[in-house]
Amino acid sequence: MKIMLNGQEREAREGETILEMCRREGIPIPTFCYYQAFGGQGACRMCMVELREEGQEQTRLVAACTYPIKSSVEIITESERIQRLRRTIVMLLARRAPDNPLMEALARTYSSPRLTAIEVEPPNCILCGLCIHACEEMGRTAIWSMFRGIDKRIGTPYDEASEDCIGCAACARICPTQAINLEEEGSTRRIWNKTFELVACQRCGKNYTTREELEYLWERTEYGKEKLCESCRKKTLAINMKSFQQ
Amino acid sequence: MSKVLFVEPEKCTGCRSCELICSFVHTEEFNPLRSRISIVAFEKTGFSFPAVCQQCSVAACMEVCPVGAISVDAATGAKIVNHSTCLRCKMCTIACPFGATFYDADHDLIIKCDLCGGDPECVKYCPSNAISYREAKSANFNKRRETAQKFREVMEEGR
Repeated sequence: MKIMLNGQEREAREGETILEMCRREGIPIPTFCYYQAFGGQGACRMCMVELREEGQEQTRLVAACTYPIKSSVEIITESERIQRLRRTIVMLLARRAPDNPLMEALARTYSSPRLTAIEVEPPNCILCGLCIHACEEMGRTAIWSMFRGIDKRIGTPYDEASEDCIGCAACARICPTQAINLEEEGSTRRIWNKTFELVACQRCGKNYTTREELEYLWERTEYGKEKLCESCRKKTLAINMKSFQQ
Repeated sequence: MSKVLFVEPEKCTGCRSCELICSFVHTEEFNPLRSRISIVAFEKTGFSFPAVCQQCSVAACMEVCPVGAISVDAATGAKIVNHSTCLRCKMCTIACPFGATFYDADHDLIIKCDLCGGDPECVKYCPSNAISYREAKSANFNKRRETAQKFREVMEEGR
């Protein structure tokens, strides 16, 4: 399907979102809440673009991550109007994550004025929802969004240690503002108010995983039962190969 | 039939050229910590073993991945990580029986051997031909079966 993208004719696949197409064409669109594994959420609104439908004179603003291309539309990804919009979004989100490097870089790009920071829990959380999606994809529901409006925040039920959490920290690694605190000290890992006793490698004693992670693993595969860390798995294999050679 | 990365530890001298070239082609730096292949060396006995992804037909990494981010490259048969869908939950790194899938904390990526898209650089730079990239055909079938048998016994011993 032919569409107009920033004044140039381009080929779009029917049903793909504007963001998917732009990423394919190498046109940069900033996002916070988009991750390819989950598709668009339309939560952060950073990816807003101007769209002109057939027969229309005026453009309207749509979220590129959730708008599926179904007809020959015209899309504008950079304009004064979009710049203004992104400046405002960054200005507002930066109140929640003031010292975040990504936010600072975007504030410079869009010359967003700096407002006083507000205290949020967990600090730096911009409520993009990626952590919730990551947890769901893991087949878990340890974290969820709670309350509404200005009180809305992400957390475990009643802020207690969740039975569902296996300590994989996929939520912490996906977070665009590094708001989720993952502490590892000695033989414990702590995340979302839950403390995990780490499992030690049977060979070298290195703490390499949580019991809950191993159980998660064993539900899906017969591997991983030997309780060895990565490098000891290699070494055990090599030692055994060595004894076969001799 | 697709080609396989064929490892012969008895030929390996432990020079680690494979680690250097692997990290260089994938990360543009000579850093064995970022190499997809690694040498396990026993200096006293002079035995070295190049440990690398075996591209298993039933792969533990694929079985445990919650989002199906590891797929089979149709051309080479390599198990490829899709970094844009990978959650970095690191389950594959715990599951891999060969310790050949791991997490690169600096780049925040799960890394493993991708057979360099069908032209493995480690093979080219191995001075003693301990790593070769061969057609998985009957000519070397017996040797492969032998190695597979060894692997099986090793794995069973490991449990």
